[in-house]
This record gives sequence, C-alpha cells and structure tokens, in this order.
Amino acid sequence: MRLLLAEDDPMIGEGVRQGLRQDGFAVDWVQDGRAAELALAENVHDLLLLDLGLPRKEGLDVLRAMRRRGDVRPVLIVTARDALADRVAGLDAGADDYLVKPFELDELAARIRALLRRHAGRAAPVLVCGDIELDPATRQTRVRGLPVTLSAREFALLEALLARPGAILSRAQLEDKLYGWNEEVGSNAVEVHLHALRRKLGADAIRNVRGVGWMIDAKARAR
Amino acid sequence: MTPVRSIRRELVVWLAAGLLVAVAAAAIATYMRARAEANEIFDYQLRQMAASLTGVPLAGTPGGLTPGADALVVQVWDRNGVQIFLSQPQQPLPQYAQLGFNTVGTAAGEWRVFSTLAGGQVVQVAQPMSVRRELAASMALRTIVPLLVVAPLLALFVWFGVARGLRPLERVAAALGKRSPGVLEPLAEVGLPNEVRPLVHALNSLLGRLDRALGAQRAFIADAAHELRTPLTAVHLQAQLAERATTDAERRTALVLLRAGLTRATHLVEQLLTLAREEPGVAERSFAPVNLVELSRSIVGDHAAIAAARGVDLGIAGDHADSATDATPVVVNGDAAGLRALLSNLVDNAVRYTPSGGRVDVTVKRDAGDAILAVRDSGPGIPASEQGRVFDRFYRVPAPGATDVSGSGLGLAIVKRIAERHDAHITLGPGLAGPSGEGLGVTLRFPAAGA
Repeated sequence: MRLLLAEDDPMIGEGVRQGLRQDGFAVDWVQDGRAAELALAENVHDLLLLDLGLPRKEGLDVLRAMRRRGDVRPVLIVTARDALADRVAGLDAGADDYLVKPFELDELAARIRALLRRHAGRAAPVLVCGDIELDPATRQTRVRGLPVTLSAREFALLEALLARPGAILSRAQLEDKLYGWNEEVGSNAVEVHLHALRRKLGADAIRNVRGVGWMIDAKARAR
Repeated sequence: MTPVRSIRRELVVWLAAGLLVAVAAAAIATYMRARAEANEIFDYQLRQMAASLTGVPLAGTPGGLTPGADALVVQVWDRNGVQIFLSQPQQPLPQYAQLGFNTVGTAAGEWRVFSTLAGGQVVQVAQPMSVRRELAASMALRTIVPLLVVAPLLALFVWFGVARGLRPLERVAAALGKRSPGVLEPLAEVGLPNEVRPLVHALNSLLGRLDRALGAQRAFIADAAHELRTPLTAVHLQAQLAERATTDAERRTALVLLRAGLTRATHLVEQLLTLAREEPGVAERSFAPVNLVELSRSIVGDHAAIAAARGVDLGIAGDHADSATDATPVVVNGDAAGLRALLSNLVDNAVRYTPSGGRVDVTVKRDAGDAILAVRDSGPGIPASEQGRVFDRFYRVPAPGATDVSGSGLGLAIVKRIAERHDAHITLGPGLAGPSGEGLGVTLRFPAAGA
C-alpha cells in the first residue's frame, strides 16, 4: 500500500516515513500543501496522511479541494492541534480519522490499516481469498492454514492483489503500490517478486493476463 | 495605629458634632438676645416703678412694701440725704444714689439700680441682675431642648440613610466576591450612584486590561503547547524507531536523530523561557551601560564554531572590524542579559538561514548620537509581504526546499520584545546580496537619550 505523507517538519516526516516503511507501506513525503496536491493528482496513493499546519496551502484546504474533486481516498489527519473544534473541523472537512501528535507508530499503522480496510469495504482485518490468508497487522501469510514466509515486497505485492480480488493490476500499478519516490525500481523487479510469490503460493494463485497485468484468482486453489 | 474606618460611623460622628455646635450656638445666641430684651423690659419696669413711687408718702418704717415677685428693692432719701424708706433692709445695697441707671456690684451679686429725683426726694429702685440672667437662661434652654431631643433621632436617620446610600457599594462587592478568577467581564455600570460609578468604572477598566493580558497569556500558552508538541513528536518517533531497530546501524541513526530532536526541544524551551522573561512586568531589571562593541565580539565568538560548521563566514564589519585596535566603545544604557539574548538571536537566525558559502556581518556604529547595531546576511532574505508577520510568535517564513526548520519561530519575537524595552527601533532591509537572494539586514537604532 502506498501512502502520501504531507508533513512540513523534517524530523517528524523522516521518522514517520521510516516507521511506516518498516510496517510495509510505501511512503511518499511532501512538505507543503501545493506539493501534496501535485502528488494527489498522480492518483497512485491509497491514503493521505495530512498535517494541518502546512506552508503554502493549509492542510484543511487541501482536504476540502480533494473532496470537491470527488477524490474519496481515505485521509488521516495527523496534527498537534487537539482542540475539540479543530478535530470537528477536520472530520467535517472530509477526513476519515484524526490522530493527535505525539502518537505511537503502531497506532498510526493500525489506523491506516483500518482506514484502508474500510475503504475497500471490508470489516475483517484479514484478507482472505481462496486458501490464501493475509493479515496486514501481523504481516503473516497463511496458505491452507500453514504460515508462509514472504519478503516485504512480496507481501506488499500480495496485499495489493488481494485488496481487489479479480481485478487486473498492471505492472505500472503494482510498481506504484510497491515503491515510493526516489526508490530504484529494477526493470523487471515486479516480475521477480511475482515469480517468488508464485513459487511460495503455488503457480495458480496469481494469474497473468498477457499484455494487461496480473490478478489474484478468487477461485484459485493454491498448489 | 489607624482604627478601621467606617464611612457610616464617620458621617454620624461628624453630623452629631455639627449638630452640637449648632445647638450650642443657638443657645448662646438666644441667651444673649433674651438678656438684651430682658434688660430693656426690666429697665422700663424700674423706671415705671420709680415714677409710680414719686410723691407717695412713704413712712419711715420699712416693710411697707413686701418683697415683690421681681425682688425689687426701693429706697427713698430726703433732700438732706437721710434715708426715709428702705423696702428690704436685709439687702446690702449702696447707701447712696446716683441718678439714672446704674449697675452696681454688691456682696450679693450685681444689681441694676434706677434713681430719680422727684418732689424733693430721691427714689431708688433696684433689682438683682440674676433675675434677668435666669430669665434669659430659661429662654435659651427652651430653645435648645427640642433640638437636643431631636438630635438622636437625626443620628438614627443618618445611620440608616448612609447604610441605604452605601448599598450599591455592597452590591458591587458581593458581585465581585462571587466571581471566579477566570470571569473578567465588566460589572454593570447602570443604576449606580455618582459616587460609586467612578470606582466601578476604574475597576472595569482594570478588568478589561487584565482580560486582555490573560487572553494574550492563554494564546501564548496554547501556541507554546502546540509548538512544543512538534519536537516532542519527533523525539517520540525517533525513540520508537530506536526501539524497533534490528541492527546497530539503524539504532545508531535513530539515536543521533533522537538527540537532534532533544536539542531542538531544548532550544524551543529555552526560547520560550527567554520570551517569558521578557514579558512586560515580569522582572524589571535595572539598566546599566553596555558596550555594544564588546557584546558583538563576544556573541560572534560564541557563534563562530557553528557558523564555521555550516560554512558561513561570520564576523564583525565596519569601524570595529579590526580587532587589533581598541575601538571606541559604543555604549547604550540597557539590560545586558536582554541585549545579549537579542543579538544572539539575530546572529543565530542569520547563520541558520544563510546557505553554505554565505556571509554574516555584525556592525556597530554611532549615527547622529544614536547607537546602531546591525546584522546582515547573504541568505534568501524575507519577502516584503512577510516582513509584517516575522515578528509574530511562532511565525516562520515559508522557505521552499528548506530542510532545516529547527528554528523555534520565536527568535524575532524575542528581538522585538527586547528592542521595545530599550526603545530601540527595528528595521528590516536588504542585507548582503548573495546567490540565494538579496539577504536580510536587521538594524536596531538605540536613541541617543538612552546612551
């Protein structure tokens, strides 16, 4: 899952980015409101982490403009403003959740997972498709109840595919889910990870539609 | 020692005293007047009496006349001066007569005497003066007795009247007493007597000023709390990352960042304290002569290491650039600690915002008697549109691409506060033109009067 982080403080931005990466998210970080809007326009992020006191364009203005455009991606406000009025204003402007600084990285990650889950229309925390189970919180994958060890990229790849079972994701889309900006993406990196995934889950688990992309087969019987 | 003062008691005492003086004056006046009238009447009576006695054959035997109600004494002498009649021999009256009215002193007090010559006889009628005095005194007494009876009643009225008049004061006191410390709304000024209104008005004006001061404090605390959260969040994050670190390298990186976060939080707290100390009325420190040249050298020295580390050429320019010569001191009257904080903040800001390879100059000079202290840098400068806001607390000039915003946002607010305390005038202007912009020059002009 790829997140957009809008945070003007360099120390906090760096810390959040690092922490969320450890939790398996790809994180792009912008330091002002305008840059956030430009990044949102790319339409590659699954969720926006928004600080309110942003230079150049206020966080709330970014949020309102986003909702006016019909952008329904989840937005989690992360701010030092804890007054009731601020929280109400933030949520009423279209935010999905509100987290006050300072916060625990684990809580931030859990809230992000919850928002992504709800946005995908699921209530259960574990992604299940056929024999494959994936728990984003514990980062565990099971096939027919047996744990399978996946690398961070493999996990992210499987998570992206499981999030929309039956949908075909192109290589570019998968790359977007896996890598943030400034990350070197090898020309066949996605194929390498997919190959490894198929080896671990079974060749049938992920189906390739030539020239279009990859999908997880809802009726797939792994191995 | 001063007894507890009560307006009510004081008013009653003064009114009672005034009343007593008035009663006494009335008594004395009545007495005087009554005596004067009594004198006239009794003198007339004496004359009538004497006239009625002339030609009356009075036998030599005394006692022919009984002592009258008016205690008149009659004496008659023949032309040879032989007393032929004395109505009351027991009265010690002079045995001679002087014609007309006379007041004579005897062993039994003063007497009023009238003598007349008629029909070869001298008739003398005498009366003790005490009769007149008693009459006057009784008249005076009749005048003051009603007044004395009314006096306590009057005091009672005053006592209750004053209490009634002072009731608005009690209401104001009760209204104030019931207030919680946070409620600083003005008291109602309508329906108050003229005497109380100025007091309530002054109180309201004080409450208004307190409310504004308290509001400013609250805003400051809210701002400060918000601003403190940011470095604390950074520290918190780095601590969590250090905990999560699986390798020594990761842990070391996190700890370095953790330390940087702590340094930043500490800096912010120190700046907040400096600003709090500069709050008006917190501590009035005494002013003493401060040599700005020495101060500049000391502060440039303090910042030399950090400037060098950032690749910024920091130094003193102008007349005092040559450290070999003992330059003429530029002395202002000021608070040494405050001026140190002021210049330190200016130099710190300049070094912080000037990119590597840039230059920061501190200049001290005299201009038309005024002392001038200036810090110029070759940084990006402050756009004119932002110059009005840079002295606001926690305002940071949006610097696109800036990677180091470890500034507290308080530096210029502190500078402004200290400059105001020294009546110094601050101007922002271009500094040293450099590749990143026209730079920033902050100039402080200390008026000659303060030198």
